[in-house]
Amino acid sequence: MRNLLCLPALALAASAVQAEPVAIDGGTLQLRVLLGDSTTVSIAPFRLDATPVTNADFAAFVAASPRWGRDAAPSVFRDAGYLQALATAPADYPITHVSWFAASAYCAAQGGRLPTQDEWEYVAHESTHLEPDTYAAMLFAYYADPASHARRAVGAAHVGRWGVHDMHGLVLEWVEDFQMVAKSSTGDSAIGASCGDTARYLADNDPAHYVTFLRYQSRSNYTPRTTTSTLGFRCAYDIAT
Amino acid sequence: MKSKKLNPALLLVAIASLTAGAASAQEYTVDGKVFGLPEARVYTEDYQGPPAVGEYLSALPNLKALNYTGNRTHQVRLDTFAQEVEIAPGKRYVAWTFGGSAPGPTLHVREGDRIIFTMKNRSDEEVAITPPLQNAFQKATPSRAPMPHSMDFHSGTVAASDKWRTIAPGQTIQFEWVANYPGVYMYHCGTPSVLMHTAMGQYGAVVVSPKDGYATDGDVDHSYVMVQSEFYLAANPNGGVMRYDHAAAMARTPSVVAFNGHVSAVHNEPLKANAGDRVRLYVLNAGPSGTSSFHVIGAIFDRIWYEGNPFNEMRGMQTVLLGASNGAVMEFIVPEEGSYKIVDHEFADAERGASGTLKAGPRK
Repeated sequence: MRNLLCLPALALAASAVQAEPVAIDGGTLQLRVLLGDSTTVSIAPFRLDATPVTNADFAAFVAASPRWGRDAAPSVFRDAGYLQALATAPADYPITHVSWFAASAYCAAQGGRLPTQDEWEYVAHESTHLEPDTYAAMLFAYYADPASHARRAVGAAHVGRWGVHDMHGLVLEWVEDFQMVAKSSTGDSAIGASCGDTARYLADNDPAHYVTFLRYQSRSNYTPRTTTSTLGFRCAYDIAT
Repeated sequence: MKSKKLNPALLLVAIASLTAGAASAQEYTVDGKVFGLPEARVYTEDYQGPPAVGEYLSALPNLKALNYTGNRTHQVRLDTFAQEVEIAPGKRYVAWTFGGSAPGPTLHVREGDRIIFTMKNRSDEEVAITPPLQNAFQKATPSRAPMPHSMDFHSGTVAASDKWRTIAPGQTIQFEWVANYPGVYMYHCGTPSVLMHTAMGQYGAVVVSPKDGYATDGDVDHSYVMVQSEFYLAANPNGGVMRYDHAAAMARTPSVVAFNGHVSAVHNEPLKANAGDRVRLYVLNAGPSGTSSFHVIGAIFDRIWYEGNPFNEMRGMQTVLLGASNGAVMEFIVPEEGSYKIVDHEFADAERGASGTLKAGPRK
């Protein structure tokens, strides 16, 4: 699946990174953030990268597709910070400073795509099964100083169900449908215009739901050109039927 | 493989951004107030300069005097970015700030002035702040916390869906507002999850002085600005700085309540006056969720302009109750030489840090 044209300097470190996709069983996601009438969503089986995409992975992609290089990528597809850390960050750290467009292109080159918001939430929830308060405390601790967390290798943290690593606590991740859209009988509308507008989207008002909403909401306010030091991604793959 | 298709969400947002400002095509006046300001502009810029720029911006507790007559147009920049700050001894956290402190700098303008405001979301940059627009008590060090943010000036009368819109890290927004109404106002981030954004430190004060002034303008010896706010923080189990405590924020049980961003700010550097002086305080309760029962121990406010509007004059108040985002101008005569404690008379909040000192010298 992965592009094997690794840069020689990165090849050794890259070989230590097991970012091969793993099989995710289908199931039901109990939604914490309610964007329509349903409170659950059914998830079909798919495959997902076991870890976020690394610098080595992305460098290999750029080597094979130079038009996605730091300076070569058209500015409509990325902001000024694009890939600013790639040259200096360790090979087995998660790629950051990557736009939604570039992440999508990377996944397409692997024969995959970005996971949907629901797929990502499903894996995050089912693979960790954290108690709500533990989950909330961990994520608020992450947001307390997010930049310090992206500075380690992928795959080091506790491995969850299906062999999935690093859903929380390393980097935030792009998803395919990253902008929140509220669906109602009167039509769809983008969320994010005003403040004090949270409770009607939350299944419950506890910290676990609030911090989940923060993840949806903050990602939703990015543009597809946005890059940050804490935002990476992993790819999903459909299973042929 | 999935077939290629347009992402409907992206399409929708693209359309929304094209039409967001359609309502504000033409400026007009009603009752002497100016409305219908130009559409906000969101763009990217290669700006690395000072994060707070404006002739009439000042660090708490100071207020820049308006050394011009009539009205003028102000160019004001207040970038938003993260700083690790101290709000009480041993209590540090990575604040989300406007201009590098929590509360941010105070802007002073006159009723009728126009403000051209610029803000870059620099939350993914380490921005160094420098005096004079620095809160010395917070001992800030640059940090990063990439996050979308917005700016909501309570002193402005505009379509929030346009001017107060959220921008991503790396983006800049520019918009105009006119100071139509005099008062002591809050500014804050209005991005959803707004309780967290404000509790993390994104607020400050705007003082819009009335065009004809207050009746006592000629008698005031000292003017100060005080902003009260709550901090909801918990120890981080992994060590390091403290983190936002959402359960406490929802229960309204702050870990710290402070004047001017630090429990010691108005003690270690007390407000100064002399016996017999008339002292004016511009007070804002930024919340985000609590009230302030503002009181000076040993003094009585003889003039209060609630919300800072000269029509809202009250007299002879021991305590002024301010809800979240209420402000007031309060004046008192300093009775004699000595030390005067300034408190939120809701003592649970005073004990959490909402207190300060005015130190009075002998009568001159």
